[in-house]
Amino acid sequence: MIEWFQQNWLLVVVPLSLFLAFCIIGLWARRVLYNHLDRQLSKSGWGGRDVLIQTTRGPFFFWFVLLGLYVAIAFSSLPEDTKSLIIKVIASIFIVSIIWLLVILSERLLSIYMSEVQNVKQPAKYVMTALRSTLIIVGLLILLDYWGWPLTPLILLMAIVMLVIIVASRDALSNIFSGFEISASRLVKEGDFIKIGSDDAGYVTDMGWRNITVRTPDQNTIVIPNSKLVRETIVNYGRPLKKSEKPFHFYTRLSLKELTGLKATNLIALINILKTAPDSIVYYHTHHFLEEHQYLTPEPANDFALWIGDALDNPVLSEKLANIDTFEYTSLGSLKASLISVIEQYMAENPDIRFTQAERDFHFIKVVNVISPTPYFASDLREFVEVLRKVTIDSLYYHIFESRLRLQKRSNDFSVWIRDSFGESDLADKIDNLVPYTTTIEGLRSVIIQLIEKRIK
Amino acid sequence: MNDTIISQYKTRLEEYQPIVGKNIIDELKILGSHLAGRKVHNINSTFSGGGVAEILARMVPLLQQLGIDATWDVIQGDDAFFNVTKKFHNALHGKDESVSKDDLDIFMETSRKNNGSMALNSDIYYIHDPQPIMLIERKKSLGGKWIWRCHIDVSHPDKEVWKFLRKYVVQYDATVFSSPEFSQQLPVRQYMISPSIDPLSDKNREIAPSVIQSVLDKFGLVNGKPMVVQISRFDYLKDPLGVIQAFRMVRKGIDCQLVLAGGTADDDPESSRVLEEVRECAGNDPDIKILAIPPGSDLEINALQRAATVVFQKSLKEGFGLTISEALWKSKPVVATAVGGIPLQVINKVTGLLCHSVDGAAYALKQLLSNPDYATWLGKNGHEHVKQNFLITRHVKEYLLLFIVVDNPSDTIFL
Repeated sequence: MIEWFQQNWLLVVVPLSLFLAFCIIGLWARRVLYNHLDRQLSKSGWGGRDVLIQTTRGPFFFWFVLLGLYVAIAFSSLPEDTKSLIIKVIASIFIVSIIWLLVILSERLLSIYMSEVQNVKQPAKYVMTALRSTLIIVGLLILLDYWGWPLTPLILLMAIVMLVIIVASRDALSNIFSGFEISASRLVKEGDFIKIGSDDAGYVTDMGWRNITVRTPDQNTIVIPNSKLVRETIVNYGRPLKKSEKPFHFYTRLSLKELTGLKATNLIALINILKTAPDSIVYYHTHHFLEEHQYLTPEPANDFALWIGDALDNPVLSEKLANIDTFEYTSLGSLKASLISVIEQYMAENPDIRFTQAERDFHFIKVVNVISPTPYFASDLREFVEVLRKVTIDSLYYHIFESRLRLQKRSNDFSVWIRDSFGESDLADKIDNLVPYTTTIEGLRSVIIQLIEKRIK
Repeated sequence: MNDTIISQYKTRLEEYQPIVGKNIIDELKILGSHLAGRKVHNINSTFSGGGVAEILARMVPLLQQLGIDATWDVIQGDDAFFNVTKKFHNALHGKDESVSKDDLDIFMETSRKNNGSMALNSDIYYIHDPQPIMLIERKKSLGGKWIWRCHIDVSHPDKEVWKFLRKYVVQYDATVFSSPEFSQQLPVRQYMISPSIDPLSDKNREIAPSVIQSVLDKFGLVNGKPMVVQISRFDYLKDPLGVIQAFRMVRKGIDCQLVLAGGTADDDPESSRVLEEVRECAGNDPDIKILAIPPGSDLEINALQRAATVVFQKSLKEGFGLTISEALWKSKPVVATAVGGIPLQVINKVTGLLCHSVDGAAYALKQLLSNPDYATWLGKNGHEHVKQNFLITRHVKEYLLLFIVVDNPSDTIFL
């Protein structure tokens, strides 16, 4: 052995020296390069600095070791076929190490990204798995190619499989990438109140990798695919406003007209029937025009004024009755008394008018009300505004007009809730002071929405 | 139930959403949920022709979509029976009719045959007009709630005929009329529900100008010449002769053309006689077109109404007059007589012009033909008025309310 070494020491020392030289160069190069890299990355303030440096430091030196090994083998006196085999093994280890590094590096960088961006844990896992699989497959293909295996059929098969997967999961993929877009843009977060398009609005309760979940004021949960979300116009009103302990539940009042069979052909008959008429008759003849003539501004006065003006051709009494401000009365009884008083006073001053025959009869109608809860609740003013946009005029009618008579005071359900729940007396007073009888209900809806929006902006 | 008729009108409730709004549809669903599974049996006398059949054909499928088990059947009758019911119809409208004892016997005999043959098993029986009114005799054995729906103007009914019918009317749990003028002193509750039009039907939906033109060409009408149109069954109560008279007064000063278009109904044996008289009155006048169009010519009617400069409805009596709502929906200025349910639709000088005579009709027509801006303003108001009050969605809502109310005597019902 010693004798062989004395005769062939160069054959051992040269490759060993070369190997050691590459190891030393590797250590030196790593020190120089990584010091420089560390300075540059520190200046840039990039969050992935530590990960990049710590993950690649080891492999960087390892690749010099492999290079040293490769050179040493090349200069060794081993048989050519042995050399060739060892070099192929070294090259394969090099390829594997590159792939391994890419996988580790991408995982670690992605985890940094995940820590910065919320709600992408699930999609990130899927993307990581896909990336890892892709890198491993690519590495495997390079290795097979390097070892001279036929790749064309395998690549073709893989392409077909990939195509099938992509086609089958194109919606899911679209949602996943849209999820990234939404999260990265930070336009929507859990707890935000958002409006999607022109219809759906509510609080975001969950943000998943394929869709987001929104709870609407009608207590429905809607699930919106992320891909739809990025295509729609979204209004984000931000975090919830102060919540009421008692949410406002919207009701609606639907009415059916009931014919009483009672009719008046002159003033005296009108007043006699009116005196015994139930509130529901007074209510109909002083309020129905608000619902039935939404398109007219100003709307007609009460039916009594209209009939006396048109059918009795008495504009003076008609004007007196039209001038009775329904808004001033908080009970139908007092409104009825006022109507009767005006007519009686006029008849006392103009006794001839009492039995004047009208051109057409006055038919007394009453309403049967069906009060129904709607699915809509509002626990803060943002939800309240959105529900206000959606409810029917029947619902507004119930909470604005009927509430005055129900509460027996110059207020309405909206003002009471706003005042009691949030202490917003100023806003409540402004809504109280709107005169609902001089505008359309749609006009009233717009004004209330504007008042509240101005307050919560 | 005639499923063939029903299946023609399978409009989805959601299709009305762009017209009336989502909240209205939601409201119907809420009401429907309180009546889910209730059996409602509609019964009238014809599946085709006239407003009642037209409404039921669309109403029943919509009620079904809202969870109501709604069905529709017609009673059977021969010519003799329908001749009597036509007499009833005229008499209830206030026209002089001699209804003999034999007539009443024919009516009762056919009604009792129907009572014996009709399969009834519902929660609510909704009986339309006088023809099937005697089905109420089965109330005792069947139970359930019975509603009589009167589509006729009974503001000044013939006393004898009303007295005969009244004894059946009072056995119902509730009655429904189209206008306050029709209400009577009755011991049963009377509700007011106006009829409606379907904005998505062939008669009312938007159509292309080319379709309108093709209809005008088909009937030999001159496009560009002011056109006055009355769409009505050929019936004395629609006063087609009065329309021709008024038109001739106006044409002396304004160049225009008149179209009287209408069909006949299975339950109206009088209409062909009226048609002949109208043709005779029109003579060879090139500006007057008398169009007897078959049932189902909805697209033609739509085109004629849309092509009209002014729409007439000069009825002497009118249950409601859905053709007015149809015209108003198309934003057409309307001249109509102040009878029956017409004033509910035509608010004088706001959504149209009301008249009371041939002279009044001629005067109003002149006003509209001479003042197109005013006519346009009336038409625009008319469209909004119909949108708010006379579309089928409002009608469905009131039917649902009626089904709720008929079970509950209170004036305020909390669901």
